[in-house]
Amino acid sequence: MDEPIHFFVKSLTLMQNDTAQIEQIQNKDERAFSLLYDKYAGAIYSVILKMTKDEGKAQNLLQDTFMTVWNKVDTYDADKGRFYTWIYRIAKNKVLNSLRKTDLLIQTEDFSVYENKEEDSNIDSEHLELKGAITMLEAHHKKAIELVYFNGLTHREAHLQMDVPLGTFKSYIRQALKLLRKTYTKTLSFLLLLFNLM
Amino acid sequence: MKWDNKIIIENGLLEQYLLGELNNKECQQIEEVLASNADLKSYFEDLEKDFETLGLENAVAPPEKLKTQLLSQIKESDSPEVKVVSIENRSNTRAYFRIAASIAALLMISTFWLYNQLADFKKEQKIVNTENEKLINTLENLNNKLESETALFATLSHSDTEQYILKGNALMPNGKVVSYINHSTKAVVINTEKLPILDDDHDYQMWADVEGEMINMGVIPKDNNLLAMSYIENSESLNITIEPAGGNDHPTVEKLVTNVYLR
Repeated sequence: MDEPIHFFVKSLTLMQNDTAQIEQIQNKDERAFSLLYDKYAGAIYSVILKMTKDEGKAQNLLQDTFMTVWNKVDTYDADKGRFYTWIYRIAKNKVLNSLRKTDLLIQTEDFSVYENKEEDSNIDSEHLELKGAITMLEAHHKKAIELVYFNGLTHREAHLQMDVPLGTFKSYIRQALKLLRKTYTKTLSFLLLLFNLM
Repeated sequence: MKWDNKIIIENGLLEQYLLGELNNKECQQIEEVLASNADLKSYFEDLEKDFETLGLENAVAPPEKLKTQLLSQIKESDSPEVKVVSIENRSNTRAYFRIAASIAALLMISTFWLYNQLADFKKEQKIVNTENEKLINTLENLNNKLESETALFATLSHSDTEQYILKGNALMPNGKVVSYINHSTKAVVINTEKLPILDDDHDYQMWADVEGEMINMGVIPKDNNLLAMSYIENSESLNITIEPAGGNDHPTVEKLVTNVYLR
């Protein structure tokens, strides 16, 4: 229980969409950027690892992603979404482009890019395992989220992968997210209660 | 609107938008809806938070060296800008230096050129001045000459002028002098064209005889054929002697070459 509490204290501070920090980064404050990296690099690295299944590639892409964040931070618009979402999209695009480039020579069908990746394992299998609330979900919910969020598939690609109709797949995602939310709010209430008691 | 919301939510459009699966046009449409629809906006914000939490829960710590590399890369990516600026500045200053140097060089060249021009002008002015002086001298000479010639001519052409021929004696058998005397204007003009040329040590000198006394009328110059001599009142005769160069106080009678009595 110690770890989730520790995580939630951390994530509580992260939940604020830190406008001031973003402004500092936009003003090319390297210290603010370093703090931002500390916050998000792990989450983004995890996504990139699960998409590429290659630690070397993932490290390059992670660096590339944060370089882009540094260079393009002026184009971030807080009205359109959270900073994390923005970084996540940058990382995902970079990974997909890199995978398309390398696989274009072998396979032309986009969909096949994500198949049979397990064969060449340049990765600690532990990095591919999911952690936290998602592990408590039913297998199909967990799989659906894993495919679109961690493996970078589109809804259309993912429903084929799971061999269910697109509509069904979409409801999997919705239900999975609803369940995750419930867990998160429960833990949050527990935490708030804990704080109040202290 | 509710129906719209339902369609958007059931189709998982917000999830797909969040995950970056939509194309630019679709993204724009979603963004427009989100900007105007508070319910959907709040639904989307929850989605974002959930996905963010999900990501943070699954974080895998990247190797420490990555951060160090990234931060030094950032410094590198920034420093060229600074360098570029400084180079621009330097090239700007260099450009200014070049312009200043060019101007200075132009000034030097033009100053030198002007100085040379001035020197030339001065030289020319000197020449012009000299020429001018020469011309003035010449003009004066000409004027003087003209004046004397006019005077001579006036005497020669005067109605009262009398002509006397001084014929050479035994000492000067082939020589003669023509003299013109005007008593009213008191002028004497002689034509020495036919006088034999003397050496440099001797000159012809003219004398007037007044009551037995020889009065000096002047040395006859060698460079002119027609010349005026001093008019002496009451002279009875005109006489020419050969004297040492520059003339004599008294005539050397033995060297008398010609004479004529006046009427």
